[in-house]
Amino acid sequence: MTTVEKGWIGARYTRREDLRLLTGKGQYLADLRVVRDPLVVKFVRSSVAHALIKSIDVSAAAKLPGVVAVLTGADIRDKIRPLPTPSTVPLLPGHYPTHWPLAVERVRFHGEPVAAVVATDKYTAEDAVELVQVEYEDLPPITDPEKALLADSPLVHPDIGTNVMFSMVLTGGLTEAEQAANKARVDSIFATADVVVKERFYGHRCGVMPLETRGAVASFDPEAGLRVWMSTQRPHIDRLVFSELFDIPQNQVQVSAPRDQGGAFGVKAPVYREPIMIVYLTKLLGRPVQWIETREEHLMAVSQERDQIHELELAADKQGRILGLRDRVIADNGDSCEGVFWGFIMPFYGAALVPNAYHIPDCDISITAVATNKSALSPARAFGSLPGRFALDRAIDMLARKVGKDAADVRRMNLITQLPCNIATGVHYDSGNFVGVWDKLVQHIDVPRFRQEQRAARAEGRYIGLGFGVAVHASGVASEALVPMEGQPGYGSATLKMDSSGTVTVFEGDAPQGQGHETTMAQIAAEILGLDPEDVTVRVGDTNNTPFASGTFGARGGSYTASAVAMAAKAIRDKIVKVVAHDHKLEPDPAHFRFEAKSIWHKDRAEALTSMAGVCNRIIMKPLDLPAGADASLEHTAFFEAKEPMMAFSAHAAIVEADPASGEFRILRYISSEDVGRVINPLIVEGQVRGGVVQGLSNAMFEEFIYDENGQQLTSSMENYMLANAADVPNIEILHADTPCEHTPLGTRGMGEGVPGPVPGALCNAICDALEPFGIEIRDLPVRPDRVWALLQAARARAAG
Amino acid sequence: MYPASIEQYHRPATVDEARAAYAAAGGEAMYIAGGMSLMQAMKSRVLSCRALIDLSQVSELRGVENSGGRVRIGAMTRYRAVAESRAALGPYQALADAADRVGDRQVRNRGTVGGSLSWNFVVACTPVAALACGASVSILRADGRRESLAIDDFLQGPMTTALSEGDLLLGIEMPVPANPASSAYRKWGVVVDALPTIGVAVFVELASASSCRNARIAVVGLPGGPARTPRAEARLKAADLGDPSSLAACAKAAAEECDTAADPWIGASYKSHLIERLCLEMIGTAVRRARSQMS
Amino acid sequence: MTREISVTVNGTVYRKQVPVRLLLVDFIRDVLDLTGTHQGCTYEGVCGACTVQLNGEAVKSCMMLAVQADGQQVTTIEGLARNGVLHPLQKAFKEHHGLQCGFCTSGMIMNAEEFLRTNPRPTEDEIRHALIGNICRCTGYQGIVAAVSAAAEEMSAAGTPAKSGS
Ligand SMILES: Cc1cc2nc3c(=O)[nH]c(=O)nc-3n(C[C@H](O)[C@H](O)[C@H](O)COP(=O)(O)OP(=O)(O)OC[C@H]3O[C@@H](n4cnc5c(N)ncnc54)[C@H](O)[C@@H]3O)c2cc1C
Ligand code: FES
Ligand code: FES
Repeated sequence: MTTVEKGWIGARYTRREDLRLLTGKGQYLADLRVVRDPLVVKFVRSSVAHALIKSIDVSAAAKLPGVVAVLTGADIRDKIRPLPTPSTVPLLPGHYPTHWPLAVERVRFHGEPVAAVVATDKYTAEDAVELVQVEYEDLPPITDPEKALLADSPLVHPDIGTNVMFSMVLTGGLTEAEQAANKARVDSIFATADVVVKERFYGHRCGVMPLETRGAVASFDPEAGLRVWMSTQRPHIDRLVFSELFDIPQNQVQVSAPRDQGGAFGVKAPVYREPIMIVYLTKLLGRPVQWIETREEHLMAVSQERDQIHELELAADKQGRILGLRDRVIADNGDSCEGVFWGFIMPFYGAALVPNAYHIPDCDISITAVATNKSALSPARAFGSLPGRFALDRAIDMLARKVGKDAADVRRMNLITQLPCNIATGVHYDSGNFVGVWDKLVQHIDVPRFRQEQRAARAEGRYIGLGFGVAVHASGVASEALVPMEGQPGYGSATLKMDSSGTVTVFEGDAPQGQGHETTMAQIAAEILGLDPEDVTVRVGDTNNTPFASGTFGARGGSYTASAVAMAAKAIRDKIVKVVAHDHKLEPDPAHFRFEAKSIWHKDRAEALTSMAGVCNRIIMKPLDLPAGADASLEHTAFFEAKEPMMAFSAHAAIVEADPASGEFRILRYISSEDVGRVINPLIVEGQVRGGVVQGLSNAMFEEFIYDENGQQLTSSMENYMLANAADVPNIEILHADTPCEHTPLGTRGMGEGVPGPVPGALCNAICDALEPFGIEIRDLPVRPDRVWALLQAARARAAG
Repeated sequence: MYPASIEQYHRPATVDEARAAYAAAGGEAMYIAGGMSLMQAMKSRVLSCRALIDLSQVSELRGVENSGGRVRIGAMTRYRAVAESRAALGPYQALADAADRVGDRQVRNRGTVGGSLSWNFVVACTPVAALACGASVSILRADGRRESLAIDDFLQGPMTTALSEGDLLLGIEMPVPANPASSAYRKWGVVVDALPTIGVAVFVELASASSCRNARIAVVGLPGGPARTPRAEARLKAADLGDPSSLAACAKAAAEECDTAADPWIGASYKSHLIERLCLEMIGTAVRRARSQMS
Repeated sequence: MTREISVTVNGTVYRKQVPVRLLLVDFIRDVLDLTGTHQGCTYEGVCGACTVQLNGEAVKSCMMLAVQADGQQVTTIEGLARNGVLHPLQKAFKEHHGLQCGFCTSGMIMNAEEFLRTNPRPTEDEIRHALIGNICRCTGYQGIVAAVSAAAEEMSAAGTPAKSGS
């Protein structure tokens, strides 16, 4: 390539977004003043986990001055088409319970919306919510997924006839015969293996809770159509669904994600009940309607993920080489009413990734997702895979102890070395250098030296330990995988428009929430077109001016969308070359031209041929004497579809000091070694890693959605759903490997999505390693000092008795 | 999320005006101090009122003072001011230890000693520290009588105190003992500076470098609210402070006489363990601080 | 039910008739339309996104009524930059990638600004401790802590006069 890579890609370029956010000029959903005096909606939510609705008395609420409407499930069931609809179901053999935005006849979890109050202001709406009287007839709450599998269990969805919403054998093949043959092979490996580790692990219910809650503002005009502003990762999908549900042509529906969103991490990807209700209400009432979720609603209804039991077994030889793996995954799917994801897509995907970065050709893995009276699992960063990562990385440490080897060596011996490959579940790993990333990590730590320090510390009565966790995570998912899984395409798309002054606007249909797209996409376009990032404006998230896109999730930004931006920029560059070559009577070979310093240069000329502003003005405003086949357009929309999924690899290490007397532990160091392909902006990559690791730590140590035996959710405030604060967490050291990805135009991969995955394993392995003389093994998350202490007590009792 | 409707807001400048405003509101009034508990209760609609009486401008209720052999803390003294008044607190460092770690900076900028004592939340820092410090609580009754109560009698179980409708808590005071004395408080929570899962406050007045004349130990994190541990106190009074095993026995006694209960996060037996550990540590800190006053 | 209040916000006096129950955060956001102050929790007052300064001290504006600010000085994030010149904290947050989604940022900065006036040369531990009342979900805090630390250094070096926040 002749383009002198001026170096915007890879630069530690501070973010374009920052200035407005730092001065209070961000425009988050609740800040938008896009409609006049919207009516405000508040939901009345179920106070019980499982019950028949006997009656709802809205009369007192409806009479309150300022209240415009109070609606219940009975009012809407014949007015709104329920989910599932064609665009909200994946092509997987599961159960997709029919549900409306408000509970109809029965409630299935503590927090389910049962009525919607519409008022002129939020204070009045809340007054009215207090006045709505709901009478319930209690049904037995189903809170334990394993009990829910018993034949005599009551059912969450009696019409479906089972609590099993989804089950699948992920290994062996598609037919039962193939799966049985595979199972027999794995069984025989286990029967003859030198060493078997058989454990039950539990990754508890927790998630990623963005600081900004959900919300939607909608208005409807029969002429202009439906207009929705919402806090979402996927405006184009939302448009599709609204169109489908309300019989409005798609071109009459405009969904805009605000330019600024206060985080999402997966939570804002599904099609939820509430925005559907907001759209219905604006249509019904003919006035703009606004709903801003409260934190309490958020913690009751969404942000809940993980929650899987893994009955995991490893067969290995005496060296610690893993020969086979069995895993029975049971996911607590909650009420399972959630468009697109239905609770089980996450654990399904997580089960498919169980073998992680380890070479284990013979696996027998199955998943059962069980309905319970809890909120449906909703997507969270490390999509479905955190409990499985935890389970396998813990099991490997247990294996290492059994064969008397360092866990680091056992891990290295079992890492996948041949890439590309298909793992036992059929997931394709495209490229990377797992061992290289791993070696970088262990060299940085200097494991032998650490072991010396550990021995010396123990001699002084101090217990330090080292633990590892790894993760292979997808950066974006190709249509080939996403269509069956979510019924949606996976391609990345972007439109680039150059204007006559030589500046660029990038339009992307994704809806970022802090990932810095305005910066990274500008860096890419600037580099390819020889501009400064300042010359590039990035517009996101509006279905009216952006090409269809599946949204910002699963680390698609750095892989798919970035690739589309690069393709579109290159297409425009090629077009400009054609015109410039024509004007200067040069051969139109792109290799002879350089785009640099806002000008266009030729290999044989010392002076620039023309400025970008000049040539853009010439093409757009003076479209005379254009070369054959050229026209005045300097706009291009590109779709990038990967043939293979791009996998990113990370290896994490935690070093802790633990106190055998109290079970308390302190993280001394946390190191992450990541291979994210070519880095567009290290500042942003490091921020993603740090944030992801801390989310993982916070998940592992503090956060937990707790339901009591009656299905009452006890953790719907931030006092009870405890998140790591600044004093709870360490600094994170980061090592980059940056193996360019071969099948993206820039060599980039996405990253960020899977970062929390390996964290709980690394942390718990470190704690168990520190306390190795006492012989404890952590099997359940979260890990809190009282749990470690209880394990120590039990170990002491065993030793004594 | 939002409080129920409130009709009136008053911001009196003196205690008498406050009492008058309360009386005028005819029963449905509430005092607000820092609001760090009351706003939670009003926003979640656990409490509502017709008139809100804001004590923030009642300057006579503010301040930490050490004079005439007594340490006085006004009810409206904010955590921040308490934490910054270590010198004036003399032997009652436990109150500063508590104030220094309540919630976060923003909470400490608003929340008050009087608010915390009046609210007496089941797990709170100030009540347990005041209990160990043996504070007396001065109260202005709704009818204008002034009264002083021992903190042990003032705190009457979770969210319950000797305050009745319309009573104003004026402040607390403690005598400066004749002998070297000090106190210490520490809590343990799930995240740093969370509400206490367990907190222990210890006060000691030394008879000599190795013996106590007086000792008080109080524990928070129990279902019944903060409580003293009389058997552990008796042991501490009899203990040889130079003998680690006798201090350990005190701490063990404290753990044994407290009935802990599991909460959704932490099990009961670990709480007992925490009581023992924190108690031992706080005895050590209090004794060390007291000894440092010996010449 | 309503009451007239006069509040000085970012140096401007606002005289408004407001419901007694109106939260200060809603007064700032809905009445004055200063939307840089955010809201991240329901009633608990834990997240800190709504942090502003009242008479120069960091407070959570969701934990106060607007009437309580009557006659007082409020500073919000919009009032921090002076004559278009960014505060050293604002500059440092950008420089050290102290924000991602930015939702926590206003509150974080309004707290940190007062903190640095009380402790101009803090250690890392002191900074982390001072920020407990501000939850960030994106950054893992490291960039924020680095930014506060860098701003402290810059301000100390420049001898930036302690701004009163009012
Ligand atoms: C995020 C957060 C974290 C917290 N963390 C902790 C913690 O770690 N430890 C801890 O102990 N507490 C914690 N708290 C609670 C905090 O300590 C409260 O400030 C305290 O409980 C109440 O004090 P206040 O001045 O805010 O009182 P308010 O909330 O104003 O009042 C509380 C009650 O006392 C009454 N009252 C107040 N003053 C008087 C008076 N002088 N006379 C009569 N009645 C009066 C009020 O009417 C009300 O009923 C936390 C609070 C928050 C929001
Ligand atoms: S909004 Fe969370 S503390 Fe105020
Ligand atoms: S930057 Fe998103 S919450 Fe802090």
